[in-house]
Amino acid sequence: MLLSQRVLCKAALAAQARGYPAYWLCAVACQRPKQPDTQPVVRGSAQPSSGQGYPCAEREGMGSMGETHVIGTRMPRADAPAKLRGQERFAGDLPVHGLLHARPVLSLQAHARLNGIDASAALAVPGVVAVLTAADLPFSGGGPPRANESLARTEIVYAGQPVALVIAESEAAAEEGAALVEILADDLPVVIDPLAAMAPDAALARVLTKASEDATEAAMHGVAAGGVVDAPSERLSANVSGRTHLHMGDIAAGFAKADVTAEGSFSTAWVHQGYIEPQTCVAIPNGMGGLTLHASTQGLFRTRQLVAQTLGLPEDRIRIVAMPVGGGFGGKFGLVEPLTAGAALAVGRPVRLAFTRSEDLLASNPASGGRIEVKIGARRDGRVTALQARLVFDTGAYPNSPMAAAAFAVAGCYHFPNLDVRGYEVLTNRLGPGAYRAPGNPQASFAVEAVMDDLAAQLSMDPIAFRLKNVPVEGDPRPDGKVWPVIGLQECLQRLSTHPLWQKRCAGGTATNGRYREGIGVAVGGWRGGLEPAAAFCNLDPAGVLTIVVGAVDLSGTFTTFRMIAAETLGIDYELIRVVSADSSNAPIAGGSGGSKIIYTVGQAVQRAALDAKAQILDLASSVLEAAPEDLEIAGDRVRVKGMPSEPAYEISIARIAQLTIGLGARYAPISGRGTGAQTANAPGFSAHLARVGVDLDTGRVDVLEYVATQDVGRALNPAAVEGQITGAVVQGIGWGLYEQIVHDDSGQVLSGSLMDYALPKADVVPPIETVLVEVPSPDGPFGARGVGEPPVIPVAAAIANAIQNATGVRPTAMPMTPESLWRALVK
Amino acid sequence: MYPAAFDYAKPATVAEAVSLLSANPDAKILNGGHSLLPAMKLRLAQPAMLVDIGGISELKQVSVNGGATIGAAATYDDLLKHDGLKAHTALYEAMSKVGDVQVRNRGTVGGSAAHADPAADIPAALIALGAELVAVGPNGTRTIAADDFFVDILTTALEPDEVLTEIRIPASGASSAYEKFAHPASGYAVCGVAVALERDGEGTVTNARIAVTGSVYKATRCSAAEAAITGTKATAADIEAAAAVAADGLELAGDHYASAEYRGHLTKVLTKRALTRAAG
Repeated sequence: MLLSQRVLCKAALAAQARGYPAYWLCAVACQRPKQPDTQPVVRGSAQPSSGQGYPCAEREGMGSMGETHVIGTRMPRADAPAKLRGQERFAGDLPVHGLLHARPVLSLQAHARLNGIDASAALAVPGVVAVLTAADLPFSGGGPPRANESLARTEIVYAGQPVALVIAESEAAAEEGAALVEILADDLPVVIDPLAAMAPDAALARVLTKASEDATEAAMHGVAAGGVVDAPSERLSANVSGRTHLHMGDIAAGFAKADVTAEGSFSTAWVHQGYIEPQTCVAIPNGMGGLTLHASTQGLFRTRQLVAQTLGLPEDRIRIVAMPVGGGFGGKFGLVEPLTAGAALAVGRPVRLAFTRSEDLLASNPASGGRIEVKIGARRDGRVTALQARLVFDTGAYPNSPMAAAAFAVAGCYHFPNLDVRGYEVLTNRLGPGAYRAPGNPQASFAVEAVMDDLAAQLSMDPIAFRLKNVPVEGDPRPDGKVWPVIGLQECLQRLSTHPLWQKRCAGGTATNGRYREGIGVAVGGWRGGLEPAAAFCNLDPAGVLTIVVGAVDLSGTFTTFRMIAAETLGIDYELIRVVSADSSNAPIAGGSGGSKIIYTVGQAVQRAALDAKAQILDLASSVLEAAPEDLEIAGDRVRVKGMPSEPAYEISIARIAQLTIGLGARYAPISGRGTGAQTANAPGFSAHLARVGVDLDTGRVDVLEYVATQDVGRALNPAAVEGQITGAVVQGIGWGLYEQIVHDDSGQVLSGSLMDYALPKADVVPPIETVLVEVPSPDGPFGARGVGEPPVIPVAAAIANAIQNATGVRPTAMPMTPESLWRALVK
Repeated sequence: MYPAAFDYAKPATVAEAVSLLSANPDAKILNGGHSLLPAMKLRLAQPAMLVDIGGISELKQVSVNGGATIGAAATYDDLLKHDGLKAHTALYEAMSKVGDVQVRNRGTVGGSAAHADPAADIPAALIALGAELVAVGPNGTRTIAADDFFVDILTTALEPDEVLTEIRIPASGASSAYEKFAHPASGYAVCGVAVALERDGEGTVTNARIAVTGSVYKATRCSAAEAAITGTKATAADIEAAAAVAADGLELAGDHYASAEYRGHLTKVLTKRALTRAAG
């Protein structure tokens, strides 16, 4: 029996024993025929997994190989059983001796001068231990503005801002107390419209305090625009907290060359990441001035840095334990941690702060909205000549909008020889923004893809054919002047152009049933991919289990994929490998789980650590078996001499190797692999989507009826996980497109402060989603992998909008495309 | 998400429930709990006592014989299993469109009526079907017509110490339907329209009852549309004409999701659709 078959059989048996459906397991990847060149290949969920196997991309490089045994199989997520059974323990579930509970008191005013609070009634509630204000927190002032203002100091800058924190022996007492705290504050003018707020004489969103630049979150996602920032020539108000200007060629000359132009102005809403587990942290003082924080965070080290800076403590005094995360999507890079830590130090006892859903909608860090104006010119032959764009992003109370990323994204999917993109970020009295899956990109795609479709219509060209004439390929310039590496956008679009759904549109086959019309739309999106150095260790345990230690957080099945990478690299059974996340005091360095970079960066470190361990294992086995290392192979649970019979003289088990390295009198050094890496080249991932929608012309209601998502994933290390990422992203994209918006009224009040008002897409509005994986290997990713998390959320709203336009002839210009907004456009 | 402190009582009889309510002016009745408990957790409601009528078996009785008598504590799920209720199509459809399976497993027609949420489905259906609501209080039993029952936002004709015990749907030859445009988050009606048409042997509409919910501050009859369709053969043109005036005279509600103007438009669209099905 081949090793690969054995691995798969064991995996299959294990999976079936746990009750998983058989289709979770791949169609016998070990039987994949080799393919001679690096031609991209396509795998789709629509294809039958009948066992013929798929062709597989091949390239040379570190550890890469044409034929793989574990990589490419459909592996059930290692974290799934505990989550499905409700056995996972999240930060809020931890039993902690002496724990106190915190409830924030949120401001009802959106902009006010804070004079103080009246806590007397709250302090009289039995069980209430303290009512903390900003003055009680041991903050140094060295943190970023939002952390420094975890509780408002002198100026309330948004409705929902925490002003006080009630600490009590029980959650109920804390809540009772919080309801009784009175905030004493005088109203200041509320700034809510970012466009109006740019005018030189506009009222200011901050009059007593400053919100300085905080670029760390954007940098976290590797999304710095890299553009040239001109000296500001326009006279704008102090609400404008950031600007970007990307330009290339001669914009006037570019439009002069154009035979046709199209343009539009598009508005986008504030959208919450929609994670299930609200922001949660438990902070435990260690009695020596330091703290341990159990946090729902996507990044250990960034959270440690944030807390240490805010408290003015050395980083080694703060220990962050990353708990299983109930969803983050960019929203969990440190928000409640400084406040919880400060409160715990202030009262000298462990404190838990877990936001309620409403608090999370009012006081967390969602994606911000804005306005994007786009004008594109094209020649009669279908080549674009110029792009002009102006982006205004509302950044709420803190400068952290995705404006720069959006500016790049506006220009990033096509080769515009002449471009001029100006971006502005504007402070208002709304909550501060954070990262959300491909920050800025869904908004940019909504605008650009609409205008591209309108141009195709003017040129009487097939929208996919038009795009194919203009998509960048390897060697083309990027909007920031750098050059694109090998990318697969063209391949994705080619795949869509022959898809039956697009063929149906080409044949004019969309249905009309009275006042219900169907349409099909296409859109694309791309993400450059984040970069951050990473390290990983692996140790062979006494039981013969290889434990991989990382400093990353397991989101979306990345730890499962690490196991697969190590199993493939070593030849050791998948079941004999496990992955653990260490805490910040002892974990190897890793970036936060965001920016679609964990497999690309930490995965590389895991691969290198596995190679290091492999050399050590073969070296030890060589000594014991008295055979040269190159004559040995690792086969599942043992090392054996190639070509020799299965007899004790010619093989040694991994478990035995472990025993020889551990214990009194053992003669061999422990097996301990180490891998480090600093990826310096982006591996951009592109996606191209088709949506079929139905529009009720009488009400404006839109149903998404069918969906096809292609994506260049480089190499699908675990196709099931990759498809899961894409499917989830499409659902979130449907939310962006049709449902979700945090609504403020003119006085800054949030009108969508619960899930009764804030509409997340539910199962009944999600159609069947077909995923088609295109594999154009990246040069540096493990086995050719690219980041896969971000790209699939980008084109969804745009594809839906283009399908609506196809169905009705009406161009939607606002996200979300609510029934009323569409009805108004239809009756216009 | 902790409610303020409250006392809890679970009476075994209606009489016991009435005396608990009489003795505790700040008490509220707990039935399915799917409206009251969220309001309490948000501290929008802070009753001093909950009187749980879930233990009163007589309130769960349902009988269908032409008309229908529905115990106030019967859940939607209980009722949707009664095929006989399908004849009262507007109510049956409204029940089947309430919330989701979990909500229908717990929620009750009586609770929805007594809560009188302006966006609830049930009140419109009860009005369209000419239902009567039976209440028991310290002074005995009284019957309230659905037309008079819904007074204002979250306000009914019930006295604080009265228990709604049953809902009676009269036997009639009416053909009815309920159309709903649901809010994508809450599932409540942005607009819901229930219609019931009685016709003579010639097909002429002899009696029309049309009630709207969601678009308005309380479930309300669309009297202009009723007048327009009555006396016609309910042809497509007749229905079009009636739907066109469906929002006339209504005090329309609006919010950030759907303006009053849009809700008025939806009222017309859904009236047309409900009439078309009821007439078909």
